[in-house]
Amino acid sequence: MKDMLIEERAAMEDVKISARDVNVWYGDNHAIKDVSVEIADKTVTAFIGPSGCGKSTFLRCINRMNDTIDVARVEGTITLDGQDIYDPKVDPVQLRAMVGMVFQKPNPFPKSIYDNIAYGPRIHGLAKNKAELDDIVENSLRRGAIWNEVKDRLNEPGTGLSGGQQQRLCIARAIATEPEVLLMDEPCSALDPIATAQVEELIDELRASYSVIIVTHSMQQAARVSQRTAFFHLGSLVEYGQTDSIFTNPDDPRTESYITGRIG
Amino acid sequence: MTDTTAGPGKSSLSTLDPRTRKRNAAEKRFRAYGIAAIAVSLLFLAILLGTIIRNGLPAFQQSFITLPVLLDEAKLDKNGNRDPADLAKVTTFGYGPLIDKALQAHVVSLGIDSRFTKPKEFNALLSSSAAAEIRDYVLANPDSIGTTVEFNLLAASRVDGYLKGRVSRDSVARDKSIDAEHLDLVDALRDDGTIRKGFNWDFITGADASESRPEQAGMGVAMLGSFFMMLVVLALSLPIGVAASIYLEEFAAKNWLNDLIEVNISNLAAVPSIVFGILGLAVFIQFAHLPQSAPLVGGLVLTLMTLPTIIIATRASLKAVPPSIRDAALGVGASKMQTVFHHVLPLAMPGILTGTIIGLAQALGETAPLLLIGMVGYIASNYPTSIAEGFLNPNSAMPAQIYEWAKRADPAYYERAWGGIIVLLLFLMAMNIIAILLRRKFERRW
Amino acid sequence: MPATWLLTLLLVLSTAGFGLGRSRALASAGGNHRDLHSLPKYYGLNVLMKTLGPALLLLVAWVLIQPMVAQNRAQSLIPDSIYADSGALNLMMSDVRRIADGLDIAVGQGRLAGDAARGLGSASTDIRALLGEVGVALGSDVDPAVLAAAQRYRAVTSTGRLWMSIAVLAVACIGFAQAFLSTKKDLRARNLVERGMLWILFGAASIAVLTTLGIVLSLIFNTVEFFRLYPAWDFFTGLTWSPSFGGGSELGILPLLWGTLYISVIALAVAVPIGLFAAIYLSEYAGPKVRGVAKPLLEVLAGIPTIVYGLFALLTVGPLLVEIFGDGGLLGVGWMKGGTAVMTAGLVMGVMLIPFVSSLSDDIINAVPQSLRDGSYGLGATRSETVRQVVLPAALPGIVGAILLAASRAIGETMIVVLGAGAAARLSMNPFEAMTTVTAKIVSQLTGDADFASPEALVAFALGMSLFVITLGLNVFALYIVRKYREQYE
Repeated sequence: MKDMLIEERAAMEDVKISARDVNVWYGDNHAIKDVSVEIADKTVTAFIGPSGCGKSTFLRCINRMNDTIDVARVEGTITLDGQDIYDPKVDPVQLRAMVGMVFQKPNPFPKSIYDNIAYGPRIHGLAKNKAELDDIVENSLRRGAIWNEVKDRLNEPGTGLSGGQQQRLCIARAIATEPEVLLMDEPCSALDPIATAQVEELIDELRASYSVIIVTHSMQQAARVSQRTAFFHLGSLVEYGQTDSIFTNPDDPRTESYITGRIG
Repeated sequence: MTDTTAGPGKSSLSTLDPRTRKRNAAEKRFRAYGIAAIAVSLLFLAILLGTIIRNGLPAFQQSFITLPVLLDEAKLDKNGNRDPADLAKVTTFGYGPLIDKALQAHVVSLGIDSRFTKPKEFNALLSSSAAAEIRDYVLANPDSIGTTVEFNLLAASRVDGYLKGRVSRDSVARDKSIDAEHLDLVDALRDDGTIRKGFNWDFITGADASESRPEQAGMGVAMLGSFFMMLVVLALSLPIGVAASIYLEEFAAKNWLNDLIEVNISNLAAVPSIVFGILGLAVFIQFAHLPQSAPLVGGLVLTLMTLPTIIIATRASLKAVPPSIRDAALGVGASKMQTVFHHVLPLAMPGILTGTIIGLAQALGETAPLLLIGMVGYIASNYPTSIAEGFLNPNSAMPAQIYEWAKRADPAYYERAWGGIIVLLLFLMAMNIIAILLRRKFERRW
Repeated sequence: MPATWLLTLLLVLSTAGFGLGRSRALASAGGNHRDLHSLPKYYGLNVLMKTLGPALLLLVAWVLIQPMVAQNRAQSLIPDSIYADSGALNLMMSDVRRIADGLDIAVGQGRLAGDAARGLGSASTDIRALLGEVGVALGSDVDPAVLAAAQRYRAVTSTGRLWMSIAVLAVACIGFAQAFLSTKKDLRARNLVERGMLWILFGAASIAVLTTLGIVLSLIFNTVEFFRLYPAWDFFTGLTWSPSFGGGSELGILPLLWGTLYISVIALAVAVPIGLFAAIYLSEYAGPKVRGVAKPLLEVLAGIPTIVYGLFALLTVGPLLVEIFGDGGLLGVGWMKGGTAVMTAGLVMGVMLIPFVSSLSDDIINAVPQSLRDGSYGLGATRSETVRQVVLPAALPGIVGAILLAASRAIGETMIVVLGAGAAARLSMNPFEAMTTVTAKIVSQLTGDADFASPEALVAFALGMSLFVITLGLNVFALYIVRKYREQYE
């Protein structure tokens, strides 16, 4: 336990994403208020907080998914490896290839399992030929911990898988574009406990190569999978720190009341 | 309700008080009105379809006279050398007497009594197209001259009408072209089998004929006109409609320009079709000098008319594609354009095709705008010989042909008009069935 | 240069551009396509788009504008003295175009040398006979001024065509060069191509606006022309409609409006009660089975083309009504003289509108929240009481909107009235008399060989304008009401 903490501190030096004074409006609704946070590489960071606190909104700022909503307006700076992602010169499409996302509800394309994984590499030109593409698909499915379950049915539709398998397929699909950061928006909320356990195990493995940010409703899940935790309330970042200390010894009274079940 | 003494609370629940009975009677009446309304509508539908079938089916039958005709060398090829140029010099007037004589000889050989003595008097039984038919045969087979060939000739429209019950002996009394004695002759020839009804392929594949020859008129050429028009409509309205819908549904930001486009489309859908005809006349014919009566122009006008329908259907099916699919594609770094063209559009395609087929069916049955661009009043008697001619040469269209027939004085043309409606409705039915099957097959529940 | 050659050349150029752009991009990345910003095909598409796009736009614009310029230049050669009014000038200008085309055909067929055609004056040759030989028929002998105008027209057109080819090719080459030279591995080709595609999508969407613009402009221009020949006041207040192409027409719209409204009222009197009751029954009473059968069957009525209803009116309903209301008919009243009448057209149009009213009302009644009905049933109301006192009042604005939409349909309907209502314009109260409508008269004034410059033909555009304004007003109003109603329950 001790040396794990030391490892984490070492990793913390390596800041992957840094947000400064981020504000988000949906029309007139001020959804995110002055959030500043630094996310470490090769770490699982959990965003927790009551419904409507802005944790998902903030997550969607990191790969600029909010751009797709007409009324959304984002202010402040977010940098990825020191590069401002809201710089007008940045193409959100390229950004999203580097910052992959997994959604609340598993959303495989209504295509074959193979095509689901191959779609990203194809549009980004990651494979020179079919053999390379096959490799990418196999590797992604292996890293998504689903290869053994689907290797004999790659041509069957992805929508035919069970919920947990679909979600792991979506994770594999996100990995296939060789991202550096993985955003997960309540990835287990539509899954049963067994599937949830599988996905959580997978997240823990992914930590070795990626910076993973997970939004979750379940405090147990945050405690299980994350090394660092951020608590959001009413659009503000209330507290951010080591998961252990947040859950055992929160600084802010609001965090304490949420964790003990008095708000949310 | 103001009558408190007779309120429902006073009586037992098992017996109905008078007021409740009255209310229940009113309930029954109201319900009966509803049933009556539906029944009346369905009755109208039944009457309409019944009328169409009863009046239109005879158009698919036509009376023919089977007749051996001696192709007299003395009349058809005086020089006797079968030179095609010489043969072509003999006009249909040269053939007329041959047929009349042949008919007379045939009648005599059957031993039928008739007061007619001159060959010319038998002419009333035959269509005036008969001479042309024989002439075409002779020009194609010069060797047949001098022999006797058996022909299946069209009977005159009145004879055809008599056999179908449209023409009666009373109506013949006022008719200059045919007498009651002719009808006696027809009866005799029918008993003999010389005159009989056969399936009228020419009605489906043939060209329109002049006012005086309803027995020869067909809607094949008009069908081709409709076909070329529909090609234009399909080729233009599907891509334009889909592109416009994608823009409005997926890309258009909220601003005055896009609002203007939206309002425009919903209002265009309700503009009377005749106004589109005026537009076609003023813009395509007067301003752009495109040829009148051409299927290309008709197709352009119908495209503008069909676009709102297709756009509305396409937008509905784009909207039905769940946002999670868009999120998924955007999430792996597809651009918005790639998301739409790789994922959303393919998923919306069945709905788009269904809407397009329904829009095409509407366009196929539309008449009013075609009147203004000159597709009526034109006798569609020639097949286009090339694809370019199909688009650019004057032609009619199925509904315009039906209207044209309905306007002609000879009641024999009414039968053709009803028959034309059957053909048109069969096409529309086929298109709608395809649309329904498509919807059934690809309907997706998210 | 013929247009097909120009198009072929453009296509060749742009296809070459696709290949060259693609390979240049790959070369700039040293053959490693992972170093490229976009997929290689986007670099090719970028060059193709910039070669083809502007050139095609220019081509289309040129083709549209050139005839107008040529016409203006030619028209200036025709002295005022030789034509009486704008109609005569129009005819003359169409002769000019025909002669110019005819000469081109003659040259094309080799009957005339190009120089000879240019040197042609009317004194030397019989132009009419010459053009007759190549299949261009002229109505009269050719005036020297007209021939001169035709020669000018040809000259402007041929130089214009030459410059067009040069300009279009130049634009294509510039686009090609710019796009090709800017191709390197960091170029955001995908973004450029997608911006181009967005413009295409926007262009498609704006066709709807162009259509409306085309309708409005073609109506306005010709209507203004008409009012120059015929006073607007007389048109809007005249009680007589008697066009005669010889002149001295009286063109009052009121008898036509009267016929239109009379027929529409009868149609609505048939369609609204039946359609409304059908909708109420289907949405409030009918089980899923009855609904599943009756609804599609009603929709069949809506899918039948109007020409069919027209024929039905002319050949079935008209004669039937005469047998009942005509001389010596069943009732012996002798009200009806012929089969075509307001009643004939109105009844048939009513049948046509039944599914329209019923499906709109069905939607609207279904939008009334179930909670309102439950409230009424909870008080012990019967179904019919609930419908009459709760559902219908709540749905009333929507139903009014639906009826207005149906009225707009009835007013704009053409085929049924052309075939079923008759041709005589009359201001009469007798529904068994033949009357005519705005749409029927638009058809009759614009079909046939009318001269488009005469008030008798132009009046059709004024009628069309009135029709457009009335139906548009009804629609906008009806849609407004329906939308307000929907918002209420959302």
